[in-house]
Amino acid sequence: MNAVLQSLQPPARHTNEDEEDAWGYGNLDQRGGVRGMMVPRVPDPAAFLNLHTDSISSNPAAKIKLAHGTTTLAFRFKGGIIVAVDSRATAGSYIASGTVKKVIEINPYLLGTMAGGAADCQYWETYLGMQCRLHELRNKERISVAAASKILSNIVYQYKGMGLSMGTMICGWDKTGPALFYVDSDGSRLKGDLFSVGSGSTFAYGVLDQGYSYDLSDEEAQELGRRSIIAAGHRDAFSGNTCNLFHVRENGWEFIANYDVNELWYEYEAKKKAGASQAQAQKDEGMAVE
Amino acid sequence: MECSFGLTGKDFVLLAADTSAGRSIIQMKDDENKIKALGPHIAMAYGGEAGDTNNFADFVDRNLRLYQIRNHTPLLPAAASAWIRRSLAESLRSRHPYSVNLMLAGFDITDSTSHLYWIDYLGTKAIVPYAAHGLGQYLALSTMDKWWTEGVDKREGIEILKKCVDEVGKRSTLKFKFNCILIDASGIHHINLDSSDPIAEMEQAGKAAEVINPNPPLDVGITA
Amino acid sequence: MALFDQRPAYAHEPTVAPIEHRFSPYSDNGGTILAIAGADFAVIAGDTRQSEGYSIQTRYARKVWQLTDNATLATNGFAADGKNFVKRVKQRLEWYEHAHHKPMGLKAIARMIQTMLYGRRFFPYYVYNILGGIEEDGTGAVYSFDPVGSYEREACRAAGAAQSLVQPFLDNQIYFKNQTPAPGAEAFVPGRLPMATVLGLVVDSFTSATERHIEVGDGLEMYVVMKEGRQTTDLTDEGQLPAGMKVEELGSMGEGRGEKTFLVSMPLKRD
Repeated sequence: MNAVLQSLQPPARHTNEDEEDAWGYGNLDQRGGVRGMMVPRVPDPAAFLNLHTDSISSNPAAKIKLAHGTTTLAFRFKGGIIVAVDSRATAGSYIASGTVKKVIEINPYLLGTMAGGAADCQYWETYLGMQCRLHELRNKERISVAAASKILSNIVYQYKGMGLSMGTMICGWDKTGPALFYVDSDGSRLKGDLFSVGSGSTFAYGVLDQGYSYDLSDEEAQELGRRSIIAAGHRDAFSGNTCNLFHVRENGWEFIANYDVNELWYEYEAKKKAGASQAQAQKDEGMAVE
Repeated sequence: MECSFGLTGKDFVLLAADTSAGRSIIQMKDDENKIKALGPHIAMAYGGEAGDTNNFADFVDRNLRLYQIRNHTPLLPAAASAWIRRSLAESLRSRHPYSVNLMLAGFDITDSTSHLYWIDYLGTKAIVPYAAHGLGQYLALSTMDKWWTEGVDKREGIEILKKCVDEVGKRSTLKFKFNCILIDASGIHHINLDSSDPIAEMEQAGKAAEVINPNPPLDVGITA
Repeated sequence: MALFDQRPAYAHEPTVAPIEHRFSPYSDNGGTILAIAGADFAVIAGDTRQSEGYSIQTRYARKVWQLTDNATLATNGFAADGKNFVKRVKQRLEWYEHAHHKPMGLKAIARMIQTMLYGRRFFPYYVYNILGGIEEDGTGAVYSFDPVGSYEREACRAAGAAQSLVQPFLDNQIYFKNQTPAPGAEAFVPGRLPMATVLGLVVDSFTSATERHIEVGDGLEMYVVMKEGRQTTDLTDEGQLPAGMKVEELGSMGEGRGEKTFLVSMPLKRD
């Protein structure tokens, strides 16, 4: 009987893992969900990945060097959100690129920043853009920043411990106003007013925290973001080259400009010197009058 | 580094958790709420591995909600603690265990008793009158040992909690801010530990101090 | 059976060498690739030496592959992964052409390469890819990738063993980094160099890399992709190419818009 039943069964679907990347957006199944990616058949895939890549930065001798090192920052203020990043990518001590776009334009009103694995951020934030568009089509309204960031954090949480590396800020404007979320590959997702991520984040915080206020004007806020990246680019060897500045407002984000970190640093130094000598001159003048 | 406290009294139970969040040496937030209300008279303070914490808390929250929808009654603290403990114990034996430590506090309105459960990521559960997780274990358990007595009232309870918070402030190199709630027969309330008389402030605030129950009873109405 | 009376010395030795259980499916086969985009053309080049450690496996192994009339891909790193990857890219491009009755555009190929590389995020292809060609708007373009798929459009990029030798030279000559125009002269504009200049830079990059890097040499293959309307004579005319070049026009691969691809090759030092 079993033999009869078996012969009536449709033949097993032919599956070949090697063909799995045949269609869809990389690893999406026909329904658009994320499908398992190819994983080496070893007892501990994460250890395998760590042995051959420097994805967790703990193995500098690894053959496969992935882009690393960053300063990114974003903060909320009354005029929206300022997003500022550097543009350097390093592989070991080699500067692999000085023109990296670390702000990922998810859609016209959502921005994501890139720190950690460049591919992880680029790929999943592009995927997030697709999910946000589907949300719009299904619900006839834009997705909230909270929901968008949660989609991303849920995805990376699924891969926890597998070696993904990303620290990103999802910035946008929704019904609740400007919103900012920090999402990382540990699965953390924090709502906040001010974040900085990457190897240069401590230096950026140093300038940012001292100048931050919610009531900053647009110009002041842009200058604060810019100045903080320059400070980090100057102190952190893994950050630098140029600074990309974005401003998120009610009707979407706007790219402000790209600045050369080195040139701008000299400009700031010159201003500081001019300011100091002016102050000294005033002091001297005051003494002369006395 | 994290720190949380729980303390029971005659007709109430207190829960306090620090509010910091960050990565390695960088504090990225100082106002992260790590206490979750799970029902009208039940809440938990949680900590542990980043990512796991929120995911597990959401998992617990949604499942207790599901129970309430199915049975038209919330899970009582004792049963909830057993379910949560079992979830962690099963998770521990899975491929991706949750690394979450928590304290569950609840007020059983059926017999007017307060409950506190100390649960760790291994699935260890202890029924305790007062407890701590993280730094608090080392710095302030003795404080509670000395000052806590059976049947303390709300004001005394808060005073003990303040002693614990003070101790952590004094002996830890880290600075902590604390978030605190009180659960009694009337529900879950925010407590301002910085106030000179938090209980009076809470009573004065009335509705404003109430933690909104995330799982209100469903008004199903008459269905066809 | 006298032959077997005296067993070779090694047959008596017990096998005491530690057996490595670590799964290590990667090797580094050296070599260097490079691509430069012009206003309406792109040059994608690579040397032809393939080595492992200090041994040269072959003096002719291709690293640059024509994908379509307007796209050419260079791979570097682990040669086996590279070959396999190119094979799959070509397969996907063929499927695309069957489904849509047109060749895939350069931008789309770049995105496809990203998703194919990222699909192996947890078991990466050890391949650095550089894609060059003509964009749908007719401009020359270069896309460079890391092994797991992060990518960016650039004006020029070198990768592989001599990346750190070649890229600084390109930064100086293509992006005019650390150059100051003479007083009164017009400012430098990157991406506007004539083809003859670009080809000269590519040849200089590789001859110089061959001088200073042991894994580079033997032969140089430069694929030149030109926008439709440009003439073969643009390349073969007197003064366009350095001496000693072999030029071969590669036939059209399908219904393109008439872009032309040429393979320009020359020998490099073989020591």
